Parts: sequence; C-alpha cells; structure tokens
Amino acid sequence: MTTPRDPTDPAIVPAPWGPEVDGRRLLAESVGFGRALRAAGLATDLGAAVDFTRALTLIDVGERELVRAAGQAVFVRRRDDREVYDRVFARWWRRRQRKRPVTDGPATAAEDETLQDQESGLASPTGDEGTLGDHSDTIDGIPMPIAADDDDGSEFDGVIAAPTAYSSSELLRHRDFDRMTAAELRDAERLVDLLEPRLELRRTRRYELHHHGRLLAPRTMLRRNLSTGGQFTEWVWRRPTKRPRHIVVLCDISGSMERHSRLLLRFVQALSAASSVKTESFVFGTRLTRVTRLLRDRDRDRALARVADSVNDWAGGTRIGESFRDFNLHWARRTLRTSGVVIVVSDGWDRGDPALVATETARLRRNCHRLVWLNPLAGTPGYEPLAGGMRAALPFVDDFVPAGTVASLERLGEILAGVRSGDTRRGGEAAASADAGERHSAFVAHLIEPPAALGAGSVARASARPLGGGGSQGA
Amino acid sequence: MSPAAEPAANGSALDSIESIQGRFRDRDYVCDRSLATAVFLGLKLGRPLLLEGEAGVGKTELAKVLAASLGTRLIRLQCYEGLDVNAAVYEWNYPRQMLEIRLLEARGEADRVTAHDIFGPEFLIRRPLLQALEADADGEPPVLLIDEIDRADEEFEAYLLEILSDFQVTVPEIGTIKAARPPRVILTSNRTREVHDALKRRCLYHWIDYPTAQKEFEIVLARVPAAPEQLAREVVAFVHRLRDADLTKVPGIAETLDWAAALLSLGSRELTGEIVDETLGVVLKYEEDIRRIRGETARTYLAEATA
Repeated sequence: MTTPRDPTDPAIVPAPWGPEVDGRRLLAESVGFGRALRAAGLATDLGAAVDFTRALTLIDVGERELVRAAGQAVFVRRRDDREVYDRVFARWWRRRQRKRPVTDGPATAAEDETLQDQESGLASPTGDEGTLGDHSDTIDGIPMPIAADDDDGSEFDGVIAAPTAYSSSELLRHRDFDRMTAAELRDAERLVDLLEPRLELRRTRRYELHHHGRLLAPRTMLRRNLSTGGQFTEWVWRRPTKRPRHIVVLCDISGSMERHSRLLLRFVQALSAASSVKTESFVFGTRLTRVTRLLRDRDRDRALARVADSVNDWAGGTRIGESFRDFNLHWARRTLRTSGVVIVVSDGWDRGDPALVATETARLRRNCHRLVWLNPLAGTPGYEPLAGGMRAALPFVDDFVPAGTVASLERLGEILAGVRSGDTRRGGEAAASADAGERHSAFVAHLIEPPAALGAGSVARASARPLGGGGSQGA
Repeated sequence: MSPAAEPAANGSALDSIESIQGRFRDRDYVCDRSLATAVFLGLKLGRPLLLEGEAGVGKTELAKVLAASLGTRLIRLQCYEGLDVNAAVYEWNYPRQMLEIRLLEARGEADRVTAHDIFGPEFLIRRPLLQALEADADGEPPVLLIDEIDRADEEFEAYLLEILSDFQVTVPEIGTIKAARPPRVILTSNRTREVHDALKRRCLYHWIDYPTAQKEFEIVLARVPAAPEQLAREVVAFVHRLRDADLTKVPGIAETLDWAAALLSLGSRELTGEIVDETLGVVLKYEEDIRRIRGETARTYLAEATA
C-alpha cells in the first residue's frame, strides 16, 4: 500500500483475532459492505457500517459464521431482509477471501467475472466494488451519499417488498401501465381528496383535554389546583383522541381486471400518499405480493413501474382463495389490526375453489373492522354476482360497491367515512350477519359451492348489498 | 431455573460469545451462536437489542436470563396502546403533594413553601424507564426489558427514541436525569405492526426462529427435566410436524414446554392418539386449527413423529 504504516497511528487498533489491524481499512470494508447491502435494497446507513466496524474489532473476523451473525445484528432490521443479507454477505465474503492471501491490501482488480451474472436481482456491480477496491486506505475517498439517498434507488426495484421477485425462473411480465394519462391521474387524486377528510375514525386510547370531554382528567386537575392548596376550583375534562382507521387494500390484477387495475392502483397509491391514513397495499393474481413500500415512492410513475416489475403475475389467472389465505396466514397479524378496514378490489372471477374463497373471506372478515368489496363489473346494468368467487365471498362482505368509474368510486368515500346518510345501521347489520356467517363458515363453506343453490334471490338475501339505487343494478 | 446457577459477580462473565452461550445454558436457556453474537455485540457496543420472532420463541425469557446471568435487576416495561410518559417514566404523587400542602398549612408554614418542597424527589413516582436510568452507579446496570413494543402506539415509540439514544430524561421540575451507566436494553416485538425504522436504527436486530428439532429437544429436557426422553422426542417431533401444517397460529416453544409439562402431569410416558386429541388445546389455540388436526390428521402426524 502506498501509505507507510506508522505505529503511533491511532487508527491502528489491536484486535482479538490478530496482532493489529488498520481501523480505516476495516471501516472502508464495512462501508463497502453496507453499500452493497444498500444497493440490494436493505435500509442501512453509515451508522450501521460504523457499528459493524466496531463489531469486527470485537470478534474473530476469520470465522465466517461470526462475521455473518455480527453483520446481521447490525445491518438487518426486518426479517424479510435476512435472505437478501445472506446473499450479499456470501458474495462479499467470497471476494474478501480471495483478496486476503494475495496482499494485505484489497485487490485492485475488482472486476469480478465470475460474479457478474449470478445475482441478477442484486444489481449495482459498480458502487460496492469501487469502494472496496479503491478507497480501502482512506476514508476521505469514500463516497458519502451512502447515508441518505432514498431517491436514486432505481437499482433495487421490488427487492424490498418482495424477495420472491428475485426468482429469475419466473417470467416477469411488465405491463405498460405506468404511463397514465393526466386525466386519469387527476381522477384518482380527486377521489382521494374527496375521501380523506371523511375517513372513518377510530377512538384511540390516548386522551386530549377538551372542555366537552366526558371523562375527568384527574392528573391535570390535581396539578392545576395545587396552586390553590388542593381546593378544586377548576374542573378539567378529557376525551379520547380519534384517528382514521388503518386501511388494507387487496387489489386484483389478474387478466380480467386488466382494464381497471391501472386506475385502481392509482387510487391505492394516492391513498397511501395521504399522510393521515395508514395504508397497506397488496396485489394478487395467482399469488399475493405486498407493494406497500413500493407505492410509497414520491415519484408516482416510478412507483407503479416498480410494482409492475416486482409482480410477476400480471394479467394471469386469479386465485382469490389462495391469495386471501396467504394474507390471513402471513400478513393479517402484521398489517391489519382488528380496527382496520379492508378493501378488496376484484371482479370475483376466480379459478380456484369457491369453498376456499368462502372460508378465507370469512376469516378475513373476522380480522377486520369492516370489509369492503369494490367490483368494477358491478356498475354495469343488470349485473348479478354470478362469478364463483364473488358469490362465495359475498355473504361476508360488509359493503359491496361498484367501481367501474371514478364516479361510482366516490361512493367508497361515503362508505369508508362510515356514512351515515340515514343508514348508519348498515355496517353493523352486515357485520352482525357476517359474524353469524363466520361461526358456521367452515361448515357452510362447502354448502355454498353448488351454483344452482345460490341464485340471485339468495344474493339479495345476503347481508351485503350494492349501494346503487336499491337493487344490485347499482349506478 | 436451576438453583445451582449462581448469579455472576459481574458482567465480565459474559465477555465472549461462548461464555454467553454457556451462562445461558446454565440457566436452561439454549441459544444458538448467532443469537449469542447479537447479545454479545449489544453488550459490547452498548446498543439496545431488538428481538423479533413469533410468539413463544423465548424473546422475553432471554431478557430474564440475561439479567440473571449478569447478576443484575430486570426492569420490565410492558407496552400497550396509550402507554404514556406518566405510566412509563415518572409521575408526581399528587395526593401526597396535596397532603403535604395541607400539612404545611396546618403548621402555619404555607407561606414559606417553595416549589422545591413539594416537587422534591420524594414526591416522584418512578416508573420503569426512570428506574432503569436511576440505578446506582457502582453496581452492574440493570437489564431493561421493553416488552412487545409493537403494542405501543407510534407516539410512545417516538418518545423512546430519545431515551434509547441518550439514556436520559428530563423532569421539568427537577432537571435532567442521566444514567450513570446505561442499562442493557432488550426490546421485543411480535410484529403485529412494523416497528419504525428510526427506532430500529438505534438497535441491533435479531430474528429468533423456531429452533431445530434437536435444539428444541434440548430445551424441553432442560426446562421440563422430569420428562422422559422418549416423550420429549415425540412431543418435539409432533410439534415440528404441526409447524409445517399451515395453521392459523403455529405453536411456539412455550407451547411445546406447556404440552410436555401437561402430558407429564397426566402421567403419560408416550404420545398416543387419544392423549393427543385430549390435550391438543394446550398446543393449538384456535378452534379451526384444533378441528383440522384432531383425529385422523393427528394420527398421521403421530405416526410420522414416532417413526
């Protein structure tokens, strides 16, 4: 290396696994590793890299498993990142091993033929190698945007939310839906603007002082009356604060929904951008993909493009039952608290088993405050919910809403707002019968399937009803 | 916990990854190397350790064992929605302050009262976070367990940020209280919601997985020492089979241990179909899961487990 080693150099630190080590090089290696992780989609920062450096001085860096575990403790912040971490670590470790015996400095020939193709999902062959190779002896040389650049993330599409998007064996079908006309965009945003101030509120367990409150606020009252020596001269009241309910959107993006999913995803996106509401979004066709983080991107077109990239069943078939099951088993506890509102966007065309749809919809209903089903087809005159999946799910749906156009979507606003226009009881009534349904769901499930058994009449009898002008021929 | 395990004189006993594993093992806590590494780094770097994992994999238990191994006090803060500073950090003892004022009045000293007289430390009720910061300077700092942080709301999480980075709180009437030696902090989460990134950034992170069958077998033997090996092995094999069965709520280690203890108290030496059916409620907590497994499926699993 070019710089001569000065024994009094404070950067030279003793390590448990060897005589001495140059802290700067450790740091450079850590930062390089951190960059590689970041490029692969982990939310790491410089602080974590510094921690990793400190960790490396505490453990035996010759032992792979220890280094891996240490890096995991420092860099990984959610379970789903572990897989990505392990892959990046394996690559980093291999490269490190190769460099070590040659010289005490990292090899400068960082071009790595063998590794080029093997991690197709972990893009960015540029950033990390440069750091590892060239800047190993000087901290000044380390490029600094490591700490805060959320906006140039074009390299790691889809990785964060959907590790499965890695599997190159599956063909990614990129739909050209990320280009949306200005009019469509306006429509989607207008909808959310309409919606936002009217979202249904949930009482929280926090209180605020309010002179119309109904609960005494003893703490504040005692406090304020201390000055009068404990004579209560002033009564203080409090009331629970309110927050909009969480919303979970499950959006069908199968072939039959193709014409609608663009607009609806725009809507979902606009909803997640609205700061006051916590929104979780999933898309499903043959399987379920979480897209919450992808949709959070400020650049809306890029966000949708990423969703398109990360999802590999665009415009394929639909398996509602399996997708709901996946949600119920793996996501419901994490993303949905029982106080949340679930919005399903689907036409109900399903290739799977209707009994499964019924069971899983019932379970979904049990886990949320209210289950809303947006059906783009339901707006057409004369619509009857004949699709197998739709018919199976309908008994457990609180609100069934046509969603063909933005105009009819506006009704959703009223529903989410818990409106109220003279029919406040609808939600409760539906919920009650859904609860009744759920108690028997497992038994009822298989009874529902014969198509003849459930005609239009029984649908009308079902608790959920279209909002449009009375019958199911809404709007 | 075995009575033989003496608390360590000081923290130096946990100065290597192996010693952590060994100490924990003495207290019947079987922990793998990567978890031990995370604990070790947490102690060495002075960082809080955020443990996530399914219910019943031993997150809370780890904090207890850590405190016992360090020979120090465990201070536990159970989180819930609406948890606020008054319940988590400190509160003034208002009734006592009132009494004090009355008392001073009765003695005719009320006019000489200053704020110091009624906002002194003796009127301060110390909640877990303050207790953890105020622990005395010469002893080993306590282990602070912030349990189920995902149940607290975002407001409280935001407040924790301050405490976890500076280990100090400010009580307006008294001043800033800073920990002489920061407590060892363990946070646990069941992931009913995602903990905010800002909080995660201040912590080391470890996801506790379900153990391998062999490791779980060791855990059962350590925790339910009276259980015959045969029974322990069958119970573990059966539970492992259940974990692959796509259930609503997968049984954790806690359930395995409960089950082993339950079977033991029923006097069973081995698993049979009837016993499984009768005691399935110890392992599975959802009606639909029980209905699915009981009977035929249980027999199949049992055959696999005892094979």
